[in-house]
Amino acid sequence: MTDYRIPLFLLTAVFAVWAVMARKLLTSAIMLALVSVAVSLIFFGFNAPWAGVFELSVCAGLITVLFVSAVSLVRTVEEKFPENRARFHALPLALAIFAIAAWFYLPPFFTELAGWARPGTGGGTIGLALWDMRRPDLLGQVLMLAAGVFVIKSVFPRRTENK
Amino acid sequence: MSTFTIEWYLISLIMFTGFYCMLASRSIVRQLVGLEIVSKAAMLALISAGALANNLIFAQALLITMIVIEVVVVAAGLALLVKNFRVNGTADMWTLDGLKG
Repeated sequence: MTDYRIPLFLLTAVFAVWAVMARKLLTSAIMLALVSVAVSLIFFGFNAPWAGVFELSVCAGLITVLFVSAVSLVRTVEEKFPENRARFHALPLALAIFAIAAWFYLPPFFTELAGWARPGTGGGTIGLALWDMRRPDLLGQVLMLAAGVFVIKSVFPRRTENK
Repeated sequence: MSTFTIEWYLISLIMFTGFYCMLASRSIVRQLVGLEIVSKAAMLALISAGALANNLIFAQALLITMIVIEVVVVAAGLALLVKNFRVNGTADMWTLDGLKG
């Protein structure tokens, strides 16, 4: 199981860099979807199928549709007035510097961090964790979705006055 | 070096990529792309820590909440983008204050 997890992590990093460096915003959105697919495969590799299914359906599906529709709106302006690309071309260099510097400092810290883990029982089902033990939180989630709908509604008011 | 150490190292690289995107760009779309990448890295760290502590059930429950919140944030951000594009005609972050009032 561990054998193909590390290559998938590397693949996720490559897709993320590609999404940032892509010249076209549409390519960027598609690469973001591929990042989501790779992340959901990692979740399946971790034996976390629920998280994988949610990631695949919501993040790789819904968010990509949202991004593509928004990009199709602003694409003409983006092509007419492109951003300065020099900073994005500097990303591999900055990432390499960060990777080399982090290689000396982060792994000892992470090893110490991993030592702090308190092993759980690993029992129970996802239904127990979601519906039984977190009922108040579930109400919070519903309210959060309602807040999202409210934001959309308040950003796009019916334009009757002042126009 | 354990597998988890290598995984968290790679996660830190993914997170750096997202932060760099958010710092370097003024386009709202790219800001949201950077935010997505950072939140993907956070999700990976969460599920990896859950696997390390043998507590994947709670990690997954937390992660589902996180995905819901992420969708709401992205939808609100893209709604702001569409509104800004209609009012100001650009996708520039710095023109967002033209929406006030």
